[in-house]
Amino acid sequence: MVVGVSTGSLFAIVGMSLVLIFKATGIVNFAQGVFAVLGGLLTYGLGKHMSLALAAVLATVITAFIATIVAIVAVGVRGRTTPLASLVITVGIALFAEAVLLAAFGEVPRSYSAVSDRAWDVAGVLIQPQYAVLTVVALGAAVGLTFFLRRTIIGQALVASADSPRAAELIGLNLRSVAVIAFALAGALTAIGGLLLAPTVPVTYNSDLSITINGFAAAVFGGFVSIRLALLGGYALGIVEQLVVGYVDPQYNLIIALLVMLVLIGWRSRGELAV
Amino acid sequence: MTLLELENLVVRYGEAVAVDGVSLQVGPRERVALIGPNGAGKTSVLNAACGVLKPAKGRVRIDGDDLTGATPAAVVRRGVSQVPEGRLVFSTLPVEANLLLGAYGRIFSLEIVSSTLRYLRRKPEVRERLDRVYTLLPALRELRERPAGRTSGGEQQMVAIGRALMARPRLLAIDELSLGLAPVIVQQLAEFLLRLNEEEQVALLLVDQSASLAFSLCDRAYVVETGRVVLEGASRDLEGRSEVRSAYLGGEAEERD
Repeated sequence: MVVGVSTGSLFAIVGMSLVLIFKATGIVNFAQGVFAVLGGLLTYGLGKHMSLALAAVLATVITAFIATIVAIVAVGVRGRTTPLASLVITVGIALFAEAVLLAAFGEVPRSYSAVSDRAWDVAGVLIQPQYAVLTVVALGAAVGLTFFLRRTIIGQALVASADSPRAAELIGLNLRSVAVIAFALAGALTAIGGLLLAPTVPVTYNSDLSITINGFAAAVFGGFVSIRLALLGGYALGIVEQLVVGYVDPQYNLIIALLVMLVLIGWRSRGELAV
Repeated sequence: MTLLELENLVVRYGEAVAVDGVSLQVGPRERVALIGPNGAGKTSVLNAACGVLKPAKGRVRIDGDDLTGATPAAVVRRGVSQVPEGRLVFSTLPVEANLLLGAYGRIFSLEIVSSTLRYLRRKPEVRERLDRVYTLLPALRELRERPAGRTSGGEQQMVAIGRALMARPRLLAIDELSLGLAPVIVQQLAEFLLRLNEEEQVALLLVDQSASLAFSLCDRAYVVETGRVVLEGASRDLEGRSEVRSAYLGGEAEERD
């Protein structure tokens, strides 16, 4: 249950990041899980040479930078690639990234020490501070992103670019810059989620697929446009999967995410919009 | 000096030639129409002028300066704004955000911190402009909280015009003003544009399939067919010509005064 909340936090963070990118560019980024893996593996790698806190900050910055490169590759130099073509490009990037990460870090799942070794005893349930931090980050991101997209002019500029790319260009917004800003922000956020989860769930080169799929399922909860519902979706998935893993079979974990996603897509598509 | 000058503009989509050597001029405070059938290349001319399309050949000049191949932002900064075909409002954002973005777009850059700070520093100026746009289009003030996608077609056209006006254009290029709108709404918008032209000295470049609207609103017109200007002159003269009457005015000719 508690583990479910922490993996749920990561799903929520990835889901919200996917929503952010989709709201700004109309792209579904299948390489999003890679950013979480990068956050974890870079923190591990850098952590051998410096303090973990510094390694975590560096890993976040590096991941954000890599995310900007992904953005430029995905939307094209002039920012005109169609969303569907961009989606296929991100799938390619994800596969490429797995190969690079395998070569760089090997296939052994990596982990490192948590924020604190102690655990809090809350009404008989042991809660590790790591989980609390992860949850606070997820909730903070939800509040922050909602405010950013609704109330700030730059957030509105991102939303406007996906609403009508042609009109956004005509008022002077540069679509490539918009994509870069959205990907960098989403990359940094997902990296933080990934590097916070790694101490409890070791991370390896191909962890990105299940993270992406779960994040995708979380985003589908909110029809890919609602930050708040993506947050809820992430937690619902995390908890349900943990219950299934605990009582049925660990291998079902991804299947649950896919099932939930299909049901939701089928259900939502009766209404206004599919996905 | 001419405000906007297009010289021998050629636009290609792959092998297809959409615009095949169009030249036109719009002077300060002038009202000019670009008419022609669907697919004649009118929208491509506008988009090439506004920096959205790169012309294969030809020149775009604003106040005599060469802006061929410049970014849309650069064109907007030089005082030429476009109201796109189909309105294209930012449908999920409130009307007021649509308008404010019209002012933010031209200073937006990848340096989000500096461009946002610049915008905030100009906030009083932007507010003043917003008030002016609300005065010109009072209906928008009532609608300012509503998502732009949930307003009527005529209201969306006002949002699109208001958004373009936020950048303080000296020339407003309007693509298909009348598309999908009731005649009475079109009439109101046309009256508004006339007032805008007279009171704010904004030049108009009106692209429309409806020649009667274009002729009644504009002093001069260019007729475009298959990417070329086939006729140009004063609206009054063009209106009288039989080929124009049969091709673009048809039954509408009798309705006009």
